[in-house]
Order: sequence, then C-alpha cells, then structure tokens
Amino acid sequence: MKRLLTTASFMLAGSILTLAQSLPQVHLDADGLKPRSIEELTGASIASNYALAWRDLEAALESSQAGGIGDEFVGTAKDRLVQRITEQKRTGVHVRIADRGHQVKAVFYSSDGTAMQLTDQAQLEIQILDGNKLLDTENVTHHYIVLMTPGADRWYVRDLEEVPTNVF
Amino acid sequence: MKASTPCYSLCKDGTRLAWSCLLAICVLAAQANAADLRVPAIVDADRAFSISLDGAGEATFYLIGPDHVVKRTVTLGGALQIQSSDVRAVGRYQVIVCGSSCSSATFDVRATQPAHISFFLHPSRVPVSTPGSIDATAFVFDQNFNLVLIPSTVAFQVHPTNGTSFTRQGSTRLGVTWIRMDSTTKEGRVQVTAALRNVQEARVIQQVASEACGLHIKALPNGDSVTLETDPVRDCSGNALPDGTVVSFTKVDHAGKSTVDTPIKKGIARVRLSVHGSAQISVACGVVLGNEVTVNGKL
Repeated sequence: MKRLLTTASFMLAGSILTLAQSLPQVHLDADGLKPRSIEELTGASIASNYALAWRDLEAALESSQAGGIGDEFVGTAKDRLVQRITEQKRTGVHVRIADRGHQVKAVFYSSDGTAMQLTDQAQLEIQILDGNKLLDTENVTHHYIVLMTPGADRWYVRDLEEVPTNVF
Repeated sequence: MKASTPCYSLCKDGTRLAWSCLLAICVLAAQANAADLRVPAIVDADRAFSISLDGAGEATFYLIGPDHVVKRTVTLGGALQIQSSDVRAVGRYQVIVCGSSCSSATFDVRATQPAHISFFLHPSRVPVSTPGSIDATAFVFDQNFNLVLIPSTVAFQVHPTNGTSFTRQGSTRLGVTWIRMDSTTKEGRVQVTAALRNVQEARVIQQVASEACGLHIKALPNGDSVTLETDPVRDCSGNALPDGTVVSFTKVDHAGKSTVDTPIKKGIARVRLSVHGSAQISVACGVVLGNEVTVNGKL
C-alpha cells in the first residue's frame, strides 16, 4: 500500500548518490501540499531530479555546453537555458556556481499528478567570467519558482524563473 | 551598484611623491573609465528601457539574463538603451560595465499582462452527481510565456449540454489557480472555459451515468429455460447506463451456483438460462444489487 504523506520532508544529499559527487543538496518540504498530497517515492524522485537538474545547469553554464540539459529540462526552461548557453558561447561569457543548497517547498500538485509547482531558496555563490577575467562575484540567496512535470522515468524541470525576494 | 575595483595595481610600487602623483592619475583615470550604473529595480518584460552610464571613455557592457547574454562596447556618459528583445524572459538580470574596473547592478524583469492560459481539466470522463469529482487548474502566462505572479481572477465557465451554465472563480497564487467542482446531474458533454480578460481556453469532459439505481429484472420462463431481462438500466438521476456496461445474473439451483455476465444493449441486459427445478436468480451491476426472482423449471 502506498504511503501517503501529509507532512513530508525529503532530503537528498550529494554524498548518498554515488553517481553525483557534486550533486547539490536539496531539501524538499511538502507539508500541506494541495490539491493532491505527495507520495514518498514521488517526493524522493522530485528531490533527486531537481538536484540533478541543478548539477547539469551549473555544468552547462560553466562549460557553455548544452549537451546534458535535455536530460533534466524540457519546455520553456530548456529553451531558455539552451539559448543562454548559445549566447554565452558566442560572447565568451561563462558562469561558475558554487551551490550551497536548496530549500525547496512544494506549493501545488495537480490532482491528476501532471504538474508540481515548487519554490526554491537557493544559496549560490555566482562568479561571472569573460574568458578568464572575473567580472563579478556574488554570494546571496536566490529565489526561484519551479514547475516540474513527470516524464516516463523522471520529473523534468519545465519552468524555472528567478523572482524577487518578496514574492514568497 | 557595487563598488568599483580600485586602480591599485598601477600605483602600488610608487614612492611617497610618486604615490601622490599616481594616486591623482588613478583618480582621474577612474573618473574617466569607471561606470556609475543606475538601473531600475524592476522592469516589465518585453519593454525597452534605458540605463544611465556615468563616466567617460569606452567600456565593455554585459547584460546577463535567463535566456540572453549581451556583450558590446559602449561609450560612458549617457543613457544606454536596452531593447525589448533583451528582456523577454522574466527573472534576474545582471548588468556589468567594465572600463578600468567593473561595476555591476541587478534588476528584475516581471511578467506583463496575461496572454495565455494553460488549462487542465481532470478527469476526461466523470460520473454524474459526484461531489468534488472535477478539478480545473489554470496557469497564467504573459505573451512570452512568463508566469504571471500578480494575483488575477480566472473565471471557470461551465456549460453542460444538458443543464444550466454556471461560473466559478479562482484567484491565482504564484501564477496558478485550481477549483474542485461537483459533476452535474445529467450525462453528456460539458465544456469548461477558463477565462481571464480576453484570454480564453476551453476543455471538454464527458459526464456519464453513475451507478445503476433500482435495478430490476423480470423472468420469462420457457420450458426448461428462462429468459431474464432488466428494465432499462438507469442511474438515480435517470441517465441511461451506456451500452456495454456489464450486468451479472447469478443463478442458484440444485446444480449449484453459476453467474453469467452480459453487456447492456439498447439500454437493457438480457440473458437466457437453463434451470433445473427451483432456482433463485439475482442481478447485479457494478456495486449495485437488484431484485431476486424465483423460477421453477422442468426436471
């Protein structure tokens, strides 16, 4: 029998996955999620796929190579990220992110299970470089609204929008 | 705006006298090349605006956004026009201007007016008169498919083929709203339209008859067999159960118990059974039990 969790908390630490030495830490809070509650396996899958998405995003922004993006991103999020990476490559600009972890809260899970909206408070140290020249460094909390949708074997990031601090 | 990097490397090896001179040169050079950035805190997506670049001389301008990177040489001391196409995606943008040193600033781009609704209606088929059985979910986006975070009211207009139309409203939070509705009492097509200002998106679901209600059979004996036939099978709202719905007839006689499943055809289910002596025959459809009849066949 599936275990329904009304108060759920899922933790995914980089150290517990052998395949991901640099996997960011994602803490998912699904307390009070509506209109559908989250199941344990779904919560674990969301946290895992979101961590993988950030790992791939960070690698792509640093290398300006979009190769791994399609494994975790679809739709608008993928289109925008690919466009950004293409323009990074053209201009020589690239971004290095030191990921200090994500406090993720699930805020909406559709009744048919086809969409989940999350908010993310991410501790990121971001360096912007032009070639080897460091242009800027910042170390602040970033806030994101995320839409994830399920695929055949994973949850994909469909929309990833950074928002001002006061939005949630 | 962040502080500029000091023009230190040029001056650090000087003597006291030379240091003063070089310091003055550095200050002048900094005034000539460091950009004083003034950017708005928030701008609307897909709208052109300008950034004020104080200072003098040439510098390299960078604009880094969610889906866009701009790098070009600019002349300091005026306003720099940012094209609408540079800020189509919502999110946080970083402006960096590098002359002898780099200055940076950030601004947020927010969504504009709602222009698209992504609308889900679940499930596609639903029994009539079932409380909380229909979920409608709407995500609201602007013309560039940015999620509109400013709360807005979406009207869910429900148009049953058989019945009175009605409207329910939901207010978005973080760009999404959902409502849960009861199915109405009559079977048939139901169109639900999510509407926000002049934006509309329609979906259709099918309401089907619910469980059978008042299931009743009659027996027509014929020698050592009996033909059993239901009355027209309907739910409690009077909707006919669809053809193909299975009705189960169970016979218990001295030979034992046997069950025959038969689909509804043209509104009724009919089956012919052989009976040996006295037999009790009952009928069921889904979770609903009907009446029971007793027949007496020849041995």
